[in-house]
Amino acid sequence: MLSHVIEELPQLIVNGLVVGTILALPAIGFTAIYAVLRFPNFTVASHATMGAYAGFVANVWLGLPIVPSLALAFIVPALSGLACDEYVLKPLRRTSAATGPMAAAIAAVALTIALENVIRFVFGNDLRGYDLPVYRDWRFDLGFAFLRVGPQQVENAIISVVVMAGVFTFLAFTRTGKMMRAVADNPSLAGIKGINAETVARLASLIGMGLVGVGGMLLGLDTSIDPLTGFRAVLTVFAAAVVGGLGSIPGAVVGAMVVGIGEELSLLVLDASYRTAVGFIAIIVVLTFRPRGILGERAY
Amino acid sequence: MTEYLLEARGVVAGYAAADMILKGVDLAVAPHEVVAIIGPNGAGKSTLLKAIAGILTPSAGTITLAGAPIQGRPAREICASGLAFVPQEANVFPTMSVRENLEMGGFVQPRETRQRIEEIFVRFPILAEKRRQAARTLSGGQRQILAMAMALMVAPKLLLLDEPSAGLSPIAAEKLFDTIRGIHAEGTAIAMVEQNALEALAIAHRGVILVDGRNAREGAAAELATDPDVRRIFLGG
Repeated sequence: MLSHVIEELPQLIVNGLVVGTILALPAIGFTAIYAVLRFPNFTVASHATMGAYAGFVANVWLGLPIVPSLALAFIVPALSGLACDEYVLKPLRRTSAATGPMAAAIAAVALTIALENVIRFVFGNDLRGYDLPVYRDWRFDLGFAFLRVGPQQVENAIISVVVMAGVFTFLAFTRTGKMMRAVADNPSLAGIKGINAETVARLASLIGMGLVGVGGMLLGLDTSIDPLTGFRAVLTVFAAAVVGGLGSIPGAVVGAMVVGIGEELSLLVLDASYRTAVGFIAIIVVLTFRPRGILGERAY
Repeated sequence: MTEYLLEARGVVAGYAAADMILKGVDLAVAPHEVVAIIGPNGAGKSTLLKAIAGILTPSAGTITLAGAPIQGRPAREICASGLAFVPQEANVFPTMSVRENLEMGGFVQPRETRQRIEEIFVRFPILAEKRRQAARTLSGGQRQILAMAMALMVAPKLLLLDEPSAGLSPIAAEKLFDTIRGIHAEGTAIAMVEQNALEALAIAHRGVILVDGRNAREGAAAELATDPDVRRIFLGG
């Protein structure tokens, strides 16, 4: 048993790191929207799928390479996310300060099912894959175990890290980024200081859903895509955001790593079909022992 | 006739239509003047500042700043027109650094930001020392200094302070009142709500006493501070 664990462990940790790195993007998008708008926007599920299909159209139908395709995977969900919030969720949020956010969260679940079916209507139910060069996996002999890493996995993780570095630079050093953090930190004071909360709310939806879309495409690059690509990931994304500390962007990254590695390690003791339970267990453990998440209120 | 910098007439405001906290309050502040607003708990002192700063929309009355009407305009527009409000609580951005807080304080005047931050750092060395620290790590007194410095980032004509010394130790409060004196010495008009009424009247030129959402008394600060009735009812002896 122990030798089996030692043999499997390095591979599972590497896989977990790659999955965690990719999941961090939609988790950042989700948590950034929560930080500013104070409600869980569950349309992340369909917007991740939308990003995956937008990238598919760019890559397979238009013949664009992966990186320009990722730009489309950002833009299409970003615009859709903005429109969804502006025309559907915002009016509900405003109905009442007490129940508005809950109404918007429920409406977001309904909206995500609707959007998913629009995607299904256009593209059908078939599994689709991107137009990618086929590489042989890299193999490493660690002495006690073999490690297999796909070049595509590594490329996806690098893309995700680069995008995250961009997000952190934006939040830390630009006027617009600081403005977003200020609204997330203390919306009333931000208004007193002359910051327009409406503009920040729109930016949060735009950038947040764009990141979710890129995450959706990166998930698809690893395997294949279908109309449920985003739906399958949404629980893990939600768990990552909650575990790290809802509203905290570094928290989303830490949470994605914890849940990503946790899901892979669960394979040592559980059947693969129970993998998504790890996200739930992580939420229960964190809410019990550290209700504000691993990094708590740190907004960025 | 005095030309007032701020003139509020018959302001009615509150949090619910059926329960107006301010029932027609007047407040005037002349340029370079310090006005202390005192009164018992629930008199509407903080509500008055919020209505002036645009956080609450008055349901009746007029408010002018340098002659221009500002009532009902959003807080961010009022801030851009030269009025800076320092709320009693939650008056800094907790997870942002001291320097970033100052940048956000000067949000409506980005071109002056860099120079003003340098000036603030010279004036308040403690903020320079802690410039990279998150605001939530500051002590209560330091946080109030930061909140006031953020307001100074826009070189306001009028500063509204809501209970600046609340929750501070006597030493920290004393330092804070010195800072307020210094800000006034540079020519900024100040309207201040303060629980520590004697201290506030010692700084102020005029005092305004509110009771139950209405003006109860008004006069020179020195006179109010020595008036036996005022001392007995509001100043605790």
